[in-house]
Amino acid sequence: MRWRIGIDVGGTFTDLVAIAGDGGTVMAKAASTPADQSLGVLAGLANLAAALGVGLDELLSRTEHIIHGTTVATNALLERRGARVAMLTTQGHRDVVEMREGLKPDRYNLRMAPPEPLVPRHRRIPVAERLRADGRVETALEAPALNAAIAAVGEADAVAICFLHAWADPRHEATAAAALRAARPDLFVTASHEVLPEIKEFERFSTTAVNAYVGPVVARYLGRLAGRLAEAGYQGAVFVILSHGGVAPLADAARLAVGTALSGPAGGVAAAVALSAMGIGGELVTFDMGGTSTDIASITQGRATLGRGREVGGEVIALESLDIVTLGAGGGSIAALGPDGRLQVGPRSAGARPGPACYGRGGVEPAVTDANLVLGFLSAGNFLGGAQALDLPAAEAAMAALAGRLGIAPLDLAAGIFRLVNARMADGVRVATVRRGIDPRAATLLAFGGAAGLHASAVARDLGMKRYAVPLLAAGLSAWGMLRTDLRYEVTRSVSVAEGVPPAATLAALYARLEDEARQKMAEWFHGPIDTTRSASMRYGEQVFEIKVGLDGLDWTRGDADEQARQAFHAEHQRLFTYQLPEDEVVLVSARVAALGRLGGAAGYFSRPAMTAPGARRVFLGGAWREVAVHGFFDFQPGRRLEAPAIVESSTTTVLLAAGEFVEFDPRGWLMVTIADG
Amino acid sequence: MDPVTLAVLDNRLRAIVEEMGEAMLRTSYSQILNSSRDFSVAICGAEGDLVSQADHIPVHVGALPSAVQAVLAQFPAPRPGDIFLLNDPYDGGSHLPDLTILLPVFADGERCFFTVVRAHVSDIGGGTHGGYNPAATDIWSEGVRIPPIRLGEDGGLRDDLIRLLCANTRLPRDVRGDLMAMVGAARTGAARVEALLAQHGRDGLLAVVDAILGLSEAHARRIVAAWPDGIWQGEAVLDDDGHGRENITIRATCTKRGSDLTIDLSGSDDEVAGIVNSSRPNMLSAVAMAFAYLLDPEVSKNAGAFRPLSVIAREGSIVWAHEGKPVTLCTSHPGNEIVEAIIRAMQHCCPERAMGGWGRRFRVAIQGRSATGRKFVWHLFHARPGGGASAAGDGFNTAGEWHSAGGLKFGSVEQAEARFPLLFEAHEFRANSGGLGQYRGGTGAELRLRVESHGPALANTAGDGVRHGSAGMVGGPDGMPHAYTLLGADGAVRELRSKEVGVPVQPGDVLHLLSSGGGGWGDPGKRAEVAKQSDLRDGYTA
Repeated sequence: MRWRIGIDVGGTFTDLVAIAGDGGTVMAKAASTPADQSLGVLAGLANLAAALGVGLDELLSRTEHIIHGTTVATNALLERRGARVAMLTTQGHRDVVEMREGLKPDRYNLRMAPPEPLVPRHRRIPVAERLRADGRVETALEAPALNAAIAAVGEADAVAICFLHAWADPRHEATAAAALRAARPDLFVTASHEVLPEIKEFERFSTTAVNAYVGPVVARYLGRLAGRLAEAGYQGAVFVILSHGGVAPLADAARLAVGTALSGPAGGVAAAVALSAMGIGGELVTFDMGGTSTDIASITQGRATLGRGREVGGEVIALESLDIVTLGAGGGSIAALGPDGRLQVGPRSAGARPGPACYGRGGVEPAVTDANLVLGFLSAGNFLGGAQALDLPAAEAAMAALAGRLGIAPLDLAAGIFRLVNARMADGVRVATVRRGIDPRAATLLAFGGAAGLHASAVARDLGMKRYAVPLLAAGLSAWGMLRTDLRYEVTRSVSVAEGVPPAATLAALYARLEDEARQKMAEWFHGPIDTTRSASMRYGEQVFEIKVGLDGLDWTRGDADEQARQAFHAEHQRLFTYQLPEDEVVLVSARVAALGRLGGAAGYFSRPAMTAPGARRVFLGGAWREVAVHGFFDFQPGRRLEAPAIVESSTTTVLLAAGEFVEFDPRGWLMVTIADG
Repeated sequence: MDPVTLAVLDNRLRAIVEEMGEAMLRTSYSQILNSSRDFSVAICGAEGDLVSQADHIPVHVGALPSAVQAVLAQFPAPRPGDIFLLNDPYDGGSHLPDLTILLPVFADGERCFFTVVRAHVSDIGGGTHGGYNPAATDIWSEGVRIPPIRLGEDGGLRDDLIRLLCANTRLPRDVRGDLMAMVGAARTGAARVEALLAQHGRDGLLAVVDAILGLSEAHARRIVAAWPDGIWQGEAVLDDDGHGRENITIRATCTKRGSDLTIDLSGSDDEVAGIVNSSRPNMLSAVAMAFAYLLDPEVSKNAGAFRPLSVIAREGSIVWAHEGKPVTLCTSHPGNEIVEAIIRAMQHCCPERAMGGWGRRFRVAIQGRSATGRKFVWHLFHARPGGGASAAGDGFNTAGEWHSAGGLKFGSVEQAEARFPLLFEAHEFRANSGGLGQYRGGTGAELRLRVESHGPALANTAGDGVRHGSAGMVGGPDGMPHAYTLLGADGAVRELRSKEVGVPVQPGDVLHLLSSGGGGWGDPGKRAEVAKQSDLRDGYTA
């Protein structure tokens, strides 16, 4: 028996999934260990081995590969605990990252101190060098100037090399990087053309600065993880899932550490893509609700959308990444009175420490999980299969304190918190769908993560969605998703800024070259089947923003590839913005090829969650206490219509079903609920 | 009122205006909108009360109620499917480049709301490209005036009117595209509000809106009531009007009693010949903006929050010009000086809330031909002035002016160099420019821009603040004022005034622009030693 293992480190729990060669799938979890996530990973692996009934060494010696989602980079940014970074940058332009193009957050707050830049000004070292937009040298990079700049780096852990127009020609950056790496092998060195070889200096420099800031931290962590795994006897490959949803080997993930900033939620999106391929049906909207945040993304025609220009911890990261909407609200979000006396849920969260009041770790303010417990939706003794005991009196006390200040009954407050958080989630889904031109009513809401099951029905109804689905794996779905994605390596080249699309022959040759490069790199990582996909960033002449246009459908042999590319752009612009300007000049700004290594392996089948014994529970619904039935996932035969609300509970999640819904357990591993009209 | 329903609907109304804003950002055609974000959106009540707005350009939003009122004065009985447009500063608008689209929203046959989108278009006709004509001495030289008109009915648009408008701008395609984006955003908002009305009923939703406004009013009043009662005065001085009038003074008398604040601007100087007069809606908006800045940032910017505020002004003064006077610069100037005069007065009432002055706008537009012979027009958004310091700490560097407060974005230097015959030799913080109080004003910038046009080019300027720096507050010094010069390739040095047209620029000339720093806050003697050291180390001071 050979296993593949997915490991998803969340804020509260580390979830693991192992799929055996025959598809047998087992799940385990352990408490996350924020100070060193690799400890929780190892504890989780031990639990996984126990669940499989083998020793840890046996599990590891028979594991093909491990795919890992980590929040180390994200946390370093959010908590501002990254490396000491210096920057070598073009003389006369050392303030690009601090100017932030003139933008300031929080428009009406004119009494706030500016954030500390990731690279303080005195560590932004000017270098006498300058290129033009067409790559011509305006000021040559001379050795004395470079050596002086390198000497000025002094005490630092990492250096970002950010020169103007390195997107057009990387020679100055490459020279500086080579000299710096030779002179200071102790430093993490990263250059902007290696990170994001594209025009727009703020986005490129900021992304590179973030890479330097999180690079040493991520590299240290991944090194520690590899060390612990090796000690435990593991000799296979470790891959890390990146913000774009593909995976990369450990060493490459460490080099482009900024690419792991969305590693955490990427597994959930990968899972949704995989479920879509398995035929879950229709468009999907992921609804991954955890303790402190909720991630929402849409899957259209079996694909996740990618976007640019994401901010994490206030820092701009312009790499292509999954278009995930993250809400600062989850099960741990705290309900409180706002400054104007309005009831608010979030953005403050009880997090893992102290956690909601019902965790019994000293939390005294009511959180969403407390409301769900007080309302009877959660069972004090069987929350996440008993992974966390819940203290009902503590939740009730927290609820009563706030209800008193609002002048309403504690139960009404709990019901209000439930309603309010549902409405916020629905607004988040609107942002991820309606605002991106997707009609949610035609999609299925895919609810997973520990907390989503209780809110899925209400959120789907608010949006007029007809179906929601809750996978059996629930909290473990993201870890499973990691095992269903591909290795991905991207190569990008800037092509033109001001003028048109290159002639067909030039364009075809360029893409062929990029494809060779991408394939070669992928072949170093992986010996299985490799696919490639081509795209371009394009815009109309006078526009500022490019859009991504897929070019896989082009006939490259026809000799009019440039015209085909233009047509593809017009069509995509029409689709996105409802209009096109066929008479306007089209500019192909950059060309991109991604190589995909298909990891393959069985999809897996999860059949072993402990189910709550069928029974009944008192819940507060519609303003009154009532008794509702409690079921396991497997109790639902096709076409069963619920006469009354009901609860479904397993060791991975709890689901609240409403009256009138048709509920069916799909043997491929999920509960599919259809909301009848009215 | 059920607090949960209230909270749910309050969030929903906010989500709707944010969605409208997102639609604008993604679909607008001109760079000033999709890149620099010079637009605002709101939901207003049936009579114009501001109900909900997204955080875009502060100086737009207090003016939107005037737009609704102007529409209603002209069309007392709007019908479902009507689409209104205006820009006339003497009939509901602020200044001509700002177009405003308004859609009434109905339930049970009764008008309940308007969705409103205001956006700055790239060109609105008039004597110079780009909307700012410092040579203008009347509004007809500034562009085309649009009083409230019915641009469409039954949901359809009047293409003849759109063609009329487009025929009067130098950039018809941009203006048409932007107008479509505005209508689209307003329609999106209207559809969402209609859904809310259907779900909660007309009376239900209106009751909730009343309650939301009531809570915001109470919130604002709680803050104001905590300040001492009294009467305070402050003034701010404009450099000039570009036609010989210098030191034009805006005077604010602020009377605070209980939870009410009255701002009296009637002591301000008389209106002038040039473009620094204000329209009445813009003046009201600037006062509302100053008040909002003094409150907590969490206070919702709606009609309720502004109820404690009364405004007194005199028609014929610089802040409220007679019909026909030129006003194009007013959203910047005297908009910024109105805010500055009020904050200067209020620093004596609530010093912890008064912030050092933000920068003044000083724009440059260059037109010429590139090496390929192609015509270009380039607008300066770089070299932003610094933000003001406050009791919370130093100001934001290069975050801009009072009227946008970090909401306007300058574009990429690389992209500008790739598309225009320009070389940005340097673009960095300007040392010593921020007022060095207990907290330092944000630094301005130093820009050295070499013009490499094919043949001579022409520059226009529009702005203020060459002689008057951003105001220091509570004992903090002013920021350094702007200093713009044109360094001729032949060695000639020309100081640029803030209101010039037709400045000749030769290939190889360098624009050397030093933008103002923000005003300092608090006694300079109290600046922490460690802050002084780190300023020196980082070169914010030298």
